[in-house]
Amino acid sequence: MTDTATVPSLQAQKGRSLWTDGVRRLRRHRLAMLCFLIIVLYLSLAGFTYLAEIFDWDVNVVKWSEEVGESYQRPTMKHPFGTDIFGQSVLRKTLYGAKTSITVALCASLISLAIGVPLGAVAGYFGGIIDEVVVWVYSTLSSIPYILLILAFAVVLQDKTFLGVKITGISTVYLAIGLTSWVGICRLIRGEVIKRKQGDYVLAARSYGCSAPAIIFRHLLPNVFHIVIINFSLRFVGFIHAEVILSFLGLGEADRPSWGAMINDARIELSRGVWWQMTAATIAIFFLSLALNIFGDALRDSLDPKLRTR
Amino acid sequence: MINRYGSIALLLFVLVIITGCGKSPSETDKNEMVLRHIMPTKVRGLDPGDMRDRYSFTIGSQIFETLYQYHFLKRPYEIVPLLAEEMPLVSDDLLTYTIKIQKGIFYQDDECFAGGKGREVQADDFVYSLKRIANIKYLSQNWSLFDDKIVGLDEFREYTKGCESEQGIDYSRAVEGLQTPDDYTLVIRLKKPWPQMVSTALADLSTAPVAREAVDFYGKDIISNPVGTGPFMLEQWRRGSYFELVRNPNFRGEAYPLEGEPGDAERGYLDDAGRIMPFADKIIWTVILESQPAWFLFLEGKVDSSGIPKDNFGEAITQNMQLTESMHQRNIHLKTFLDPSTFWVGFNMLDSVLGKNKALRLAISRSIAREKFIELFSNNRDMVAHGMVVPLMDSYNPDIRDEGYSKYAPQEAKELLKEAEKVHGGKLPVLKLAVPGTDTFARQYGQFLVRQMTNIGLEVEAQYMDWPTYLEKMNGRSLQMFTSGAHASITDAQDFLQSFYSRNWAPGANNFNYSNPEFDRLYEKAVVMLDGPERRRLYRKMEKIALDDCPAAFLNHRVAYVLHHDWYKNYKPHAFAYGLSKYRRIDLEKRQAYKDLLKKLK
Repeated sequence: MTDTATVPSLQAQKGRSLWTDGVRRLRRHRLAMLCFLIIVLYLSLAGFTYLAEIFDWDVNVVKWSEEVGESYQRPTMKHPFGTDIFGQSVLRKTLYGAKTSITVALCASLISLAIGVPLGAVAGYFGGIIDEVVVWVYSTLSSIPYILLILAFAVVLQDKTFLGVKITGISTVYLAIGLTSWVGICRLIRGEVIKRKQGDYVLAARSYGCSAPAIIFRHLLPNVFHIVIINFSLRFVGFIHAEVILSFLGLGEADRPSWGAMINDARIELSRGVWWQMTAATIAIFFLSLALNIFGDALRDSLDPKLRTR
Repeated sequence: MINRYGSIALLLFVLVIITGCGKSPSETDKNEMVLRHIMPTKVRGLDPGDMRDRYSFTIGSQIFETLYQYHFLKRPYEIVPLLAEEMPLVSDDLLTYTIKIQKGIFYQDDECFAGGKGREVQADDFVYSLKRIANIKYLSQNWSLFDDKIVGLDEFREYTKGCESEQGIDYSRAVEGLQTPDDYTLVIRLKKPWPQMVSTALADLSTAPVAREAVDFYGKDIISNPVGTGPFMLEQWRRGSYFELVRNPNFRGEAYPLEGEPGDAERGYLDDAGRIMPFADKIIWTVILESQPAWFLFLEGKVDSSGIPKDNFGEAITQNMQLTESMHQRNIHLKTFLDPSTFWVGFNMLDSVLGKNKALRLAISRSIAREKFIELFSNNRDMVAHGMVVPLMDSYNPDIRDEGYSKYAPQEAKELLKEAEKVHGGKLPVLKLAVPGTDTFARQYGQFLVRQMTNIGLEVEAQYMDWPTYLEKMNGRSLQMFTSGAHASITDAQDFLQSFYSRNWAPGANNFNYSNPEFDRLYEKAVVMLDGPERRRLYRKMEKIALDDCPAAFLNHRVAYVLHHDWYKNYKPHAFAYGLSKYRRIDLEKRQAYKDLLKKLK
């Protein structure tokens, strides 16, 4: 009895970081770990597709455009999701679509974090006119309906050249999503920074003569980074949905498979009884969305003790 | 006292009431005869002087009228007077046309006229309309039709080059070949005979009279404020979504034809013979870019007629190409006819990669499996286009299919591609294929062509754009490759061949910006000849020259399958005319009965 009682007390004495504690809690959540595994599978698939394209590997997933059968062939053992109008394997298109969706979600998340986190931190730390300007910008942006805003950005950005690089297809999608979806994280970080900027460790840093950027980026941001991680995981699924919507509306990837484009194609094919393309894309989105949602919730519970639901 | 929340609630309630009041666009009087159509694309504008696409023509032809028109019922197709009193009096040397214009033709009432009342059309209006097209500042797509044809008109065009702005142009400046001895007589003097002038130009919407007052009053907005003499006038145009035309009260009335071709009476096309047109009170076009919603609206009886989307073909047509039982149950009728249209992948001959590389153009042409294309995109309805001239024309060369211009030969295409790379001096760059439309059909269309070309080793990127953007780029000669087509408005193959004449470069009909001196020489020779075997021989020779140079990979000639409801009367397919809404009549009782039928079927 004594041994088991003393071990936790020793650990408590050593102290556990927020991250170690979070990971420990997360590992106890079996469903979350299963979801994490699913997410890793999707990410690996996207990564593998990238590598296969770069190194020109002879694997089926990158040969999505190959004609494997007749036009609109029903699902068979050989082609579990049948074929599309051009006789392309719907399964291969679905697998390839993971690359498109994950690229968009990843890039859009990074763009939105790159804008939202520093803006929120600076606004929260300095306050005054800087804070007012940032709050005014994000309040204005958030007053515009989200999908309309993304659509407007996508239409404006499409086929434009920026720094010598032409913005087309997939890049239009993640830029449009990234540039319009930083408001949420900006607001969260601003609030956290306002709350923490009077903390002892900040006062200590100030008294040591640290500059404002050093305080923000070396002391404050690392302490609120768990919020960024949670937000990242929860918004990731939203970005995948946004990609699907934009592709569905014809503003996404035009000539490569994406789940949104597949659903768009399948929409008119349903009337001729071709249901398999819609089904395949929906299943792919369903599992990834579900996994991301459950894992995101678990991550939030583990990293943010105040928001714990378990 | 009403508190703050009460005030907000009251305000919201008033807003809801205000916005909820008034007729919705689709809501009409039960007894009103309304023609309901689908417009599958956005329309650029409704100014006849600068209209060239079939969608603008479809609406514009109900508002504007020309001197001549096609007889609605007679076959072979026949030109008859519309605004003219009679067919023109042509001089022996075929150079002078004297045209008597009907009296009592009035423009629709519009605020551009004094007192808002439409004035009578006079011969000067036709002269003004032609001078307007000649005005280089106006940049009309229709100039190529009149280039080097009418005495003094080219000089007028030269004069406009020197004017600083459109406002500074003196339209009273005389043009020798356009005379008006009196208000109802128009005399056109030609530089050289132009036997097809009546059908090509005087029955073409571009020559419809436009009131100078309207152009001056609306300025650039004239494209959305059409002021015509036709049976209908524009009531409402919500850009990109909705057109509503209503009867023009100033329309003089026109009698429905008394005769047609044999069998027309039996088919009911002469039931309204002699009755004054138009029959309909209103025409509505709803812009629906997607074929599926349009199809469902047709089945619901919200639209009078419809084409058949490729994905619904099996629902409407059996394997024997007859109507299915479900269509029969709905009393839907099928009309099929060979549409005088040709579709192609065009090459911009000014492009530095494609223009000088015939082997590359041939390789692309050989890479496309037309039969597969027709199977996938038109359910085997269409015909392979071996050249530009459609089979229903006299000058169609029946041997052209054996000459193999549209042969699918992937191996040969690969050999040609190697040759093309030698001509280019290295690896070919990524080619750009412009496709008008951003919907699923357009994407699949583009993807199919890209796949065919990439199969032989080319790198091609499809670029999807809306119709106005596509036209703008096309007219600016900035497209490299483009999917396009032409629909003949006359029975003469000249309508297709003019697309290869070098004086008609974009924004004219020659979107390929193709030039061949021998072709031009023959074209200039043929266009002044009367119809006959010699001219047909020249036409075939010209077609062969153009095919040898390969400025386009021809794909298909469309065979139209059109469905219409039982209540939609006088629907006789016409391959060339657009202003046909005045002939249409709705059997209101049958339209009403369809609602009950739908309930039963459900």
